[in-house]
Amino acid sequence: MSVETTTEAAPVPKKGMNILFGLTLLGLLLFLWLLLGLSTNSFWTSNNISNLLRQGAMTAILAVGQTFVIITAGIDLSVGAVVGFSSVTIAWLLAHGVPLWPAIGITLLVGVFIGAFHAFGIVRMGLPAFIITLATLTSLRGIGLLITNGSTISITDESFANFSRADFLGVPSLFWMVIVVAIPALVFLHLSRWGRYLFAVGSNREAARLSGVNVERTIYLAYILSSTCAAFVGILLASRIGIGNATQAEGWELQAIASSVIGGTSLFGAVGSVHGPLLGAFILATINNGANLLNLNSFWQRIITGALIIIIVYFDQLRRRGSR
Amino acid sequence: MTGLNDVSHRHDAEVEALSGGPVAKGAPILELRGLHKRYGTVEALRPASITFLSGEIHAIVGENGAGKSTLIKLLTGVIRRTSGDIVWCGQPVPLSDPNEAISRGINAVHQEVVLCPHLTVAANMFLGDEMNRRGLMRKRAMTDAAQAVLNDLGFNLPAGALLSDLTIGQQQLVATARAAMRGTQFLIFDEPTAYLTRQESAQLFRLIRRLQAQGVTIVYISHRMEEVFELADRVSVLRDGTHVGTRLIGETNDAELISMMINRSIEQIYHKETLPIGKPIVETRGLSGPGFQDISLTVRAGEIVGLYGLIGAGRSEFALGLYGREKVTAGEILFEGKTVDIRNERVAMDLGIALAPESRRDQGLCLNLPIGLNINLPVFDRLSSGLTINRKREIANADKQIGDLKIKTPTRRVLASAMSGGNQQKIVIGKWLSHGAKLFIFDEPTVGVDVGTKAEIYRLFSKLLEEGAGIILISSYLPEVYELADTLHVFRQGRLVASHAYRTASHEDVLTQAIGV
Repeated sequence: MSVETTTEAAPVPKKGMNILFGLTLLGLLLFLWLLLGLSTNSFWTSNNISNLLRQGAMTAILAVGQTFVIITAGIDLSVGAVVGFSSVTIAWLLAHGVPLWPAIGITLLVGVFIGAFHAFGIVRMGLPAFIITLATLTSLRGIGLLITNGSTISITDESFANFSRADFLGVPSLFWMVIVVAIPALVFLHLSRWGRYLFAVGSNREAARLSGVNVERTIYLAYILSSTCAAFVGILLASRIGIGNATQAEGWELQAIASSVIGGTSLFGAVGSVHGPLLGAFILATINNGANLLNLNSFWQRIITGALIIIIVYFDQLRRRGSR
Repeated sequence: MTGLNDVSHRHDAEVEALSGGPVAKGAPILELRGLHKRYGTVEALRPASITFLSGEIHAIVGENGAGKSTLIKLLTGVIRRTSGDIVWCGQPVPLSDPNEAISRGINAVHQEVVLCPHLTVAANMFLGDEMNRRGLMRKRAMTDAAQAVLNDLGFNLPAGALLSDLTIGQQQLVATARAAMRGTQFLIFDEPTAYLTRQESAQLFRLIRRLQAQGVTIVYISHRMEEVFELADRVSVLRDGTHVGTRLIGETNDAELISMMINRSIEQIYHKETLPIGKPIVETRGLSGPGFQDISLTVRAGEIVGLYGLIGAGRSEFALGLYGREKVTAGEILFEGKTVDIRNERVAMDLGIALAPESRRDQGLCLNLPIGLNINLPVFDRLSSGLTINRKREIANADKQIGDLKIKTPTRRVLASAMSGGNQQKIVIGKWLSHGAKLFIFDEPTVGVDVGTKAEIYRLFSKLLEEGAGIILISSYLPEVYELADTLHVFRQGRLVASHAYRTASHEDVLTQAIGV
């Protein structure tokens, strides 16, 4: 009843707007690059661009996983801890003589297991996502520190350590990993029925259930994907820094959430994409990178990042309200 | 009366200052002169001139999209008019924001209660207008004052209870009491009884009459004709954004009002065809679960089985049990003669059971997702080939339902939340038509749905029956189940207490059985 008049007012279809918003973000990213290119000599050097792509890559992968969870109206606070824990896991496995590929497989499986545990807590124990992932955030760091006895495990495998420094077709291999994750993610979220189910569960769990959607399985899927992406990032990080250390990636969960939100994901669920968080992650990476190049106090980086989150999300919401 | 006056007296001065003095009973209190609202090119309300007389109950009827909501929003200052005048107590007023409307004494009680569920009844009644002493709230005083008002109004409600512990009907009464307390002179009710039981409705009507006796002017918006005739002094009809006319209640009848609203006669609304009844589709034997006990009934092909009862009588719970949403604790279900174990919703769907649930908002729709996604939700597995969804079939399926059901939307990409009640119900129905089923369960399919859409839904029932389906129709609106059901079962407190063949019992008997006097 109360909304009947808006029906006739023909709200603007949503899809065109999503693309537009994506383009705005892309425009912002290019604008930042242009600005930094003009104000510094070192920005447009291949070294720096490679560095930027490497920096952004890991947050980008985390953000994509995080987005799946946020679309279901959940949150995954543990991803930073999972990254640290996975770096320990793979380093420990390699140090104990497990060959590289099985070690990678096992580490990813650990990620799957952690995600399944989160979903178990939410679905079976009825815990809020915020709580269960907050709990594993601190516990995983603790377990990692126990395994390493508070120190680090160094990785001696040369080929593994070289991977993150290598380029392929002139592009850092770490950035290729973003593409390796993003393309299946895109197909999954936008072209498969499971993607639709994520949106439906995030919009109205009960309606989804009564429409035959297996809500529990969908939640398992979302958290497993998020943790597996985090475990994958843990492997990449271990390769990059050459050690396993449980205290690494402190605060990355917030970076991932910020990237996702900048990319247009709604924390209330049912709104989100794959390209959004990717752009969000590289915008954040660019700000960090640019601040370094400009010799800006690192404290300012944090302030700028915060301000940017407020501005972008504010305009995104204005747009949404306008399109209703 | 004391309670009410005690609390509201401090508003009186304010209200009078703004309203330009009291208006004699029966004199115009609010006049609309050529009131006009346009959204872009859409005429939501064509220039309308309606006069509301002080102290009357003025009903407004019309289909969804007729402009009733627009009118309420204009009167409560939620939206601004395109042109025309609103004359309040003899003076033209801007009514440009909700606070102005409230301070002039114009208030609305909405169909869906907009209060804070986690606060107490008293806190809600005083919300935004708390009693303070040196910056601290006087909680005890407020609770006592609220209780006095509630007692005075004849509500048996504790002022200290949490709002969320009350039924929707009781919450509606609290919302009304809240408006009554604030020195309201002009109170608009927007379909207040949509979710109320009979007793709650009766209580609300008593309250409305009481407010009228105190000189409050009431605007009452409803889809239910008998309520209009029970309460109103005059009635105005809107159709397609046009004010069609205003009648004294004694000089009109429901046939005339309905024809003014839709240009259709009343017989055409409850469309029923007599069809040969076929084989049993579903049979329950002594089915029990949370909220229902020992239910045995049969639904055959070509048959509408009506479940009537008060809200909370266990009909929806039974439907959810049959659909696998709630655990069945005893009894058995036979589907087409075979015993089945419906463990979850998917099993029910695969057997051929469809459920259009009671609440569109909470159970039926993903409101912030597109119409197309909502329609396709039950059938995405069929629309997929391999890993991905076949986009062409996805689009075609959604567009087909939108076209077949005449859902009023420019495209399938519009969000479900932007649709009116009737169109939202069509989306829910579209979901199940595209999925297909042998047994359709419709739980309160016409709540908040306009007369025209109602008629469309009933015709759709006939179509489903012709195709060999069976229907369970749950409704708290007796004329609906009474006129449509081939077999009418009456539920009371979780049990099936009586069954009647088509039109074999009187309305009074059925009601008595449902209430259980």
